[in-house]
Amino acid sequence: MFEGLKSRLQQIQAKIGSSVHEEEPLPAGEVAETAVLGSPEKKAPSLVDKIKVLVTDRELIISDKDLKETLDELEIVLLENDVALSVTEEILTRVRRDLTGSRRRIREDVETVIITTLRSAILSVLGEGFDLIAYIKTHERPVKILFTGVNGTGKTTTIAKVGSYLRKQGFSVVIGAGDTFRAGALAQIDLHAKRLGIKVIQHQEGADPSAVLYDAVQYALAHHVDVVLADTAGRFHNRSNLMSQLGKMKRVMQPDLVVYVDEAVAGNDAVTRAAEFDRTIGADAVVLTKADMDPKGGAALSIAHTIGKPVMFLGTGQGYDDIIPFVPTAIVDELLGVSA
Amino acid sequence: MLDRLGTTLKDALKKLAGKTVIDREAVDELVRDLQRALLQADVNVKLVMGLSQAIKTRSLQEEPQKGMSVREHVLRIVYQELVRLMGPAGEVRLEPQVILLAGLQGSGKTTTAAKLARYFQRKGIRPGVICADTFRPGAYEQLSTHCARINVPCIGDPEQKDALPIVKAGLTSLAGAEVVIVDTQGRHALEEDLIQEIIAINEITRATHRWLVLDAAIGQQAREQAQRFHDAITIDGVIITKMDGTAKGGGSLSAVAETKSGIVFIGSGETVEDLERFDPDSFISRLLGMGDLKALVERAEETVKTEDLDVNAMMRGKFSLRDMYKQIEALNKMGPLKQIMSMLPMGNVELPSDVYDMTSTKMSRYRIIMDSMTGAELDDPGLIGSARLHRIAKGAGASADEVRELLKYHKMMKKTLKGVRGGAGKFNLQRLMKKFGGM
Repeated sequence: MFEGLKSRLQQIQAKIGSSVHEEEPLPAGEVAETAVLGSPEKKAPSLVDKIKVLVTDRELIISDKDLKETLDELEIVLLENDVALSVTEEILTRVRRDLTGSRRRIREDVETVIITTLRSAILSVLGEGFDLIAYIKTHERPVKILFTGVNGTGKTTTIAKVGSYLRKQGFSVVIGAGDTFRAGALAQIDLHAKRLGIKVIQHQEGADPSAVLYDAVQYALAHHVDVVLADTAGRFHNRSNLMSQLGKMKRVMQPDLVVYVDEAVAGNDAVTRAAEFDRTIGADAVVLTKADMDPKGGAALSIAHTIGKPVMFLGTGQGYDDIIPFVPTAIVDELLGVSA
Repeated sequence: MLDRLGTTLKDALKKLAGKTVIDREAVDELVRDLQRALLQADVNVKLVMGLSQAIKTRSLQEEPQKGMSVREHVLRIVYQELVRLMGPAGEVRLEPQVILLAGLQGSGKTTTAAKLARYFQRKGIRPGVICADTFRPGAYEQLSTHCARINVPCIGDPEQKDALPIVKAGLTSLAGAEVVIVDTQGRHALEEDLIQEIIAINEITRATHRWLVLDAAIGQQAREQAQRFHDAITIDGVIITKMDGTAKGGGSLSAVAETKSGIVFIGSGETVEDLERFDPDSFISRLLGMGDLKALVERAEETVKTEDLDVNAMMRGKFSLRDMYKQIEALNKMGPLKQIMSMLPMGNVELPSDVYDMTSTKMSRYRIIMDSMTGAELDDPGLIGSARLHRIAKGAGASADEVRELLKYHKMMKKTLKGVRGGAGKFNLQRLMKKFGGM
């Protein structure tokens, strides 16, 4: 996974490394000369500062200029890998802020400095992961989870996968078939559940989804089921009446977790809609589907960052087992090629 | 729809206003803004770079035509380059054919299959649909429900695991249909066996067209996916779906560039009627905030008699209750107000969002209220005083507040439409459109 972004990021690391290296062999005397020739610029670390540090502390200061070209390139790399524009800028700012003016001991490994900076920059936009198992263990049963998202991102499939995952972890599960709108949606979830041996609560097509979900919760209470997974119809965030229908579902069902589902192939719009869903309905965690289609994984960064919510799972295929818990540190380490 | 991209672009162009000489700096700035706008719309990075380079060189080298301001000159180049990037619209012939739909999971193939069937049906051609999605549970139920609603035969078998026999059987039993639409399972470029399957389906059906269905929200991935599909079955058209969201559909440009085909249709809603023909000129016009009169007229001609909706009168700011009545009647046939408004040349006018929040129930209430008005009242709402208002309310079985609300809504619509006309000077739409029309 994420092969594209990974290899490009590693190239960038090397680049930053070399652009910093170039300056290293400059003996103190030469630097002093350029200081006389060059006009006194009002750049953050002035040359005088640099020399001072060189002479006294034998350290290097990484300047803005050294980084400019590489950062521009990093920008393109991130954009090409579907990292949204705003998120790209955020990462760049962090890298720039952390690297420029940072003092580095001459003998210290350049790569370490860069990897640490990039790592912390990306980690900070990724946020924390979300451990569903731990959450269920520490909360009162039944834990009610409501899945939301726009059309065609894979909510129903994700619910089947999460259901199967939870069953394997020893929890009992019931599914509320809240997509009463789309033709064939009930048949879809019914078949999934039959294959997995999970109980589905459903009404007929066109029924009030809130009522369905209410019944699912009642069923769970009566039968001491651990987790309620609530499916909903896909809806666009700019449809105010559909969004208020979702609001009603939330009021009626009182979910413990609202999970927003989006696809990893989505581009910049992922940011807009994630933010809008978070604003109107709220979102506690995110599931990113179709990660197997996108070897790049930039959307993961974008959505996780914008929504400011942890990514819970990655969907990686069509099978019921194609779902993996999202652990940010592991992902970032893989991206940067660091052995954790 | 594409309004956001339009706005960014318009902001960029505004900076050129009032300039008499083209200076490098201004053009650079414009190109930078344009790049941002296009990147944000998910247009492929390499395409954006190529485009901005071309615009930069052409704006600086070419002499502006006589009588053209600097801004018009640059705008014209931007427009031409965008048209070039987009290529011509994919062709749709109203004749017997087999259409194979391919695309990623969840891109909207099944819904699009039903919409296409409806499109051809409306044009008076007998369609038939084959459901070759044997994998996703409920796929057949979804498609057959849609088809049953519009009385189109739908062939499929939810028990069958292999798509090929279904397609074969479908082709035989749909021999009477003029257009056969084959819906396939969602797949992506890295799923080799599924790619093999669609190659086989393509061979069996000997499809006239192989259209790629793409979600408007798709990002930079569009290019690679399109490339792989193109290698497998030679894509000759692209359908963008979910354009009713906020996604701008820039990803489709990469697909178009990659497959050297054109965009055929745009899907913009959940009902079977929500499918429009794609027109590159109007797509860009909309992008540049110049409106899309052509698509509106095309659509209006199809469903509404011309006297039903007098766009010109509306544009002149003459908008009586009678016009609104016609509009509400036409709306049922034409789709939501927002779609129609986004096609009108609104320039920079931002419509208040509550204009759109008219639900269909409210629409029918309004119709009933207007049915209780006299002809004179419909022509001149100013006549309606307190006494008349109460008479109307009684006649329609509505409350006086509802009648007031209707009048307020009418006033708001009228004001907005007037604004369109008044605001035109800002962007001089008419002149621009004339110019582009002559290209």
